[in-house]
Amino acid sequence: MFKSTVILILLSLCIGTGAWLFFIWTVKRGDFDDVEGPKYRMLDDEETPPVQDSSSQGENHEK
Amino acid sequence: MNDLDACIHCNLPIPPSDLVIDEIDGKELRFCCHGCQGVYRIINGAGLNIFYQRRDWSEQGVPTGVFEAKFEANILAEHVIKHHEDSAEIALIIEGIRCASCVWLLEKLLGKEPGVDAILVNYGTHRAQIRFNPLKTSPTKIFSAVSRLGYLPHPFTSGAAQQAAAREQRSLLIRFGTAAFLSMQLMGFSFALYGGYFHGIDPDTRQIIQYFAAAVTTPVVFYSGWPFLTGAWRSLKNRAPSMDLLITLGVLTAYSYSLYALVVGGEVYFDTAAMIITLILLGRLFEGSARNRSISGIDRLLRLAPDSANLIVGEEIHAVASVSLSPGDLILVRPGERIPVDCRVATGETEVDEATITGEPMPVLRQPGDHVSAGTLNLTTSVKLKVERVAAESFIARMARMVEEAQNRKAPIQSLADRVATIFVPLVILTAAGTWLFWFSSNVPHTEALLNAVSVLIVACPCALGLATPTAVLVASGSAAARGILFRGGDILEMAGRINLIAFDKTGTLTIGKPTVKQVIPAPGQSTEKLLRLACQVESGSNHPIALGIIGKAREEGIVLEASESIETVPGRGLRTTSDDGEILVGSRSFLTENNIEIPVIESGTLTEVYVSLGGSWCGLLLIHDPLRENAAEATTRLQELDLQMVLLTGDRPEAANQVSNELAISTYLANLSPAAKATWINEQQQSGLKIMMVGDGINDAPALSSADVGCAMAGGTDIALETSDLVLTKTDLSRLYEAIFIARKTLQVIKQNLFWAFAYNFITIPLAASGQLAPVWAAVTMASSSVLVVGNSLRLGRLVRRALSDTKQSAITRQ
Repeated sequence: MFKSTVILILLSLCIGTGAWLFFIWTVKRGDFDDVEGPKYRMLDDEETPPVQDSSSQGENHEK
Repeated sequence: MNDLDACIHCNLPIPPSDLVIDEIDGKELRFCCHGCQGVYRIINGAGLNIFYQRRDWSEQGVPTGVFEAKFEANILAEHVIKHHEDSAEIALIIEGIRCASCVWLLEKLLGKEPGVDAILVNYGTHRAQIRFNPLKTSPTKIFSAVSRLGYLPHPFTSGAAQQAAAREQRSLLIRFGTAAFLSMQLMGFSFALYGGYFHGIDPDTRQIIQYFAAAVTTPVVFYSGWPFLTGAWRSLKNRAPSMDLLITLGVLTAYSYSLYALVVGGEVYFDTAAMIITLILLGRLFEGSARNRSISGIDRLLRLAPDSANLIVGEEIHAVASVSLSPGDLILVRPGERIPVDCRVATGETEVDEATITGEPMPVLRQPGDHVSAGTLNLTTSVKLKVERVAAESFIARMARMVEEAQNRKAPIQSLADRVATIFVPLVILTAAGTWLFWFSSNVPHTEALLNAVSVLIVACPCALGLATPTAVLVASGSAAARGILFRGGDILEMAGRINLIAFDKTGTLTIGKPTVKQVIPAPGQSTEKLLRLACQVESGSNHPIALGIIGKAREEGIVLEASESIETVPGRGLRTTSDDGEILVGSRSFLTENNIEIPVIESGTLTEVYVSLGGSWCGLLLIHDPLRENAAEATTRLQELDLQMVLLTGDRPEAANQVSNELAISTYLANLSPAAKATWINEQQQSGLKIMMVGDGINDAPALSSADVGCAMAGGTDIALETSDLVLTKTDLSRLYEAIFIARKTLQVIKQNLFWAFAYNFITIPLAASGQLAPVWAAVTMASSSVLVVGNSLRLGRLVRRALSDTKQSAITRQ
C-alpha cells in the first residue's frame, strides 16, 4: 500500500514534468509571442482571407 | 460614396485628372493611380481577389509615396542578420497594415517571391520577420515587392530595451507555468492530508506526502516567487510597505513554519504558500501583456522622416542616406516626398503639409529662407533645401526623445492593492506582535506563543488579493472592447476612473480635421453649380486638402467633373488655367485682385475664403471650414455631468479655438501651443494634483499623450498617436469617451469592493490563528471562499456596465 502510493506519486510527477518541459519548449519557440494573429490565420489553408471580428470593424466596407 | 468615383484598390475618391481605367476579366475597373492598378493586377493574378471582399479597412488610401519608394541596398544591408551563405534574416515594420486580411495577403504573396524562405507578420505590432536566401534575392528586392503591394516597409532592428521587455514577458509566463504545474501536484497531496486530518492517516504515509509537498513547493517559492522576493526586498530598502512585501511575508512564514513542522511533526501549510504565488502570478500575466506597445510608437515616429535623400552635388543628384547629411548640404525634395531633415528653403517656393507639427490640415506656404521640418510633406513643387541640422537633431528626433522622456518620467501608477498594503502590512505585524506578547505573558510554552504569532502572519495574506484587480480588469476591458473602447492594461483602467480633467486637441479630435465647403456664395447672376464646376475644373488635379474638400462638395451636388490640362500652381496663392471661355483663377482674394479682378467687400469671419473668376470677372466664393464632429456637443455635455473639467489645447489660432469652445461645453482654451508646450502644460497641472486625460489624434499630440495620466486617441488618428496612447477608441465617436470613463469608474468601485472582501475574509481567520486554533483546512477554506467571492463580484461588473450604458443610450434617444 505504502509502496504503491509512492510509485503512483512519482509516476504522476514524471508525467507532469513531461508536460512542463513541453510547455517551456513552446514558450522558448515563441508560440506565445503573438496571441492575436493565429485566430485570424487558422483558416489559412483554404484560400480565403480571415474576417475580423465585429468589435473592431470600421465604417468603410467595400461594397 | 458610390463605386464609380472610388478607387477599386485604395477606396479613395479618384481625382478626375488621375483616373486610370483598366479592363480585367471583361470588367471595367477604375483606379486612382497606376500604383493601385498594379497592386490589383498582382492580387488578381495570384487568384487572391477575395481579399477585396474580406478586408476591413477603417482608413482609406495607401501610405504616402509608397509606389515611388526607393530602397538603398547599402542602408538595408546593415539590418540583415546573416546565418549562413544561403540563409539570412531581416526584420521590418510594415506601414499600411489595417486588418487581418492585410497580414494574410502579405504572407501569401511574399512567400511566393523567389528566394524568400519564410515570412511571419505579427498582426499586433505590424512587424515582419523574413528569412531569405541572399544568393537568390536581396533585401532591396523584398522591400520593393512589399511596396508594390501598397505597403511601405521600413527596416527595423529592435533595441535592447524592447528585447529585455519581451524576455521579461516570457520569463513571467514560464514562472507562472511552473507554479501552476507544481501547485496542481501539490493540491493532490493536500487533499490526502486534509482527509487524514479528519479521518486519521498512517503517520509514515503522512510524512512521506508532506516531504513530497515540501519538494514541489520549494521551487514555487524560490523560482516562481522570485519577483515577489526581490520586490519585497526593494520595498524594505525604501521603507515603503507594498503588496510584494505582504505576499512575501505570508509566503515565507507559511513555508518556513511548514518546514519546521515537517521536522518536529505537525500540520503543514505548503498549499497556502504555493497557491498565493500561483494566483497572483496569474493576475500579473492578465495585466502585463499590452505594455510593450508604446515602445514601438517611438520607432514609428523616427521612421517618419525618409531614410534617404537626394543630395545635389554640382549638376548631379545622388541618393544618399539621410543620416549622412550634414549642415550646409543642398538637397532636392520633389512634390509628394517628405522632408528628410530640418532645412531652410534655398530656391523655389512650395506648400508644405505641416500636420505633423501643428496638427492643422491646411498647408503652409514656404519661401526661400523659411524653415521646414523633418517629416513634413512637400505638396506642390520641387524645391532645393539647405540642410540645417543633422538627422539625429531633427524635429522628429527631438519629438521622439520627448515622448521617450515623458514615458520614463511617468511614475508607474500605484495600484489600489499596493495602497491598501501600505496600511495593512503594519497592521498585520502589530497583530502578530500582540498575539505573541499575549501568549508569552500567559502560562504556555514559549514555542507555542511564537507559533500562534506565526499563524497570524500566514492567514493574513489573502490569496484573493492577486485576483481582486485582474479579474475586475479582465471583465471591464472585455465589455469595454465590445463597445469599441480599448484600455492598454489594468492600471490604465484604474487611473481612468480617477480622472478629473480632460484636455482635448481641437483639429481632428473635436473637429473632423478635413476642410469642408460650408457655403457657396455665387456672384450676382451666377449659379452655385457653375461656380462649383469652375472651381473643380481647376482643383481636380491637386491633392491639396482644400481642393479635396471642394471636389467632395461638387460630388455631393452631383456635378460631373471635367479636368483641365496645363494647370499652373502659384504656391500659397492659387491656381490658374485657361478654358474655352477664358482664363479661370481660383485662390485667395489677393491673388484675384492682383490679376485686376474686382471683388466686393464680403464679411466671412474666421472661415477660409476661396475666390473664383472666369475671363476676368468674379464668379463667386466658397467658404471653407473644419466642421465639429457630429456628436461633439452632446458628448461634452455628458462628460460635464460626470463632474469633469474640460480644456481645449490647440496649435491653432485663438479665434478658432474660441469659436469651438463656445459651441461646446468646454469653458477654457489655450491656443498657439507647440507640441512641447502642450506636454509642459499637462505636467504643470499634474503638479497641482490633478489627474489628466489627454484626447488627441495627431503626431503633434504624441508628447502630450504620453505625459498625461491617460492618453486617449481615436481610430483614424495617426498611428503614432494611437501607439503613444493608453486608451484607444476604435470608432470616431466622442460619446464613447463618456462610456470609457463610466466603465473605468465602475471598475475602480468593484476593485475596492473586491479588496475589501479579500481582506475581510482573512480577517475572520485572524482571531482563530491568534487563539491557537488554526488548522490548515481553515486556511484553505478562507482562501477558496474569498477567491470565489472576488471572482463572482468581478463578473457582476459586466452585467452592470451593460445595463447602465444601454439605459443611458435609450434615454439619450428619448431625449431627442
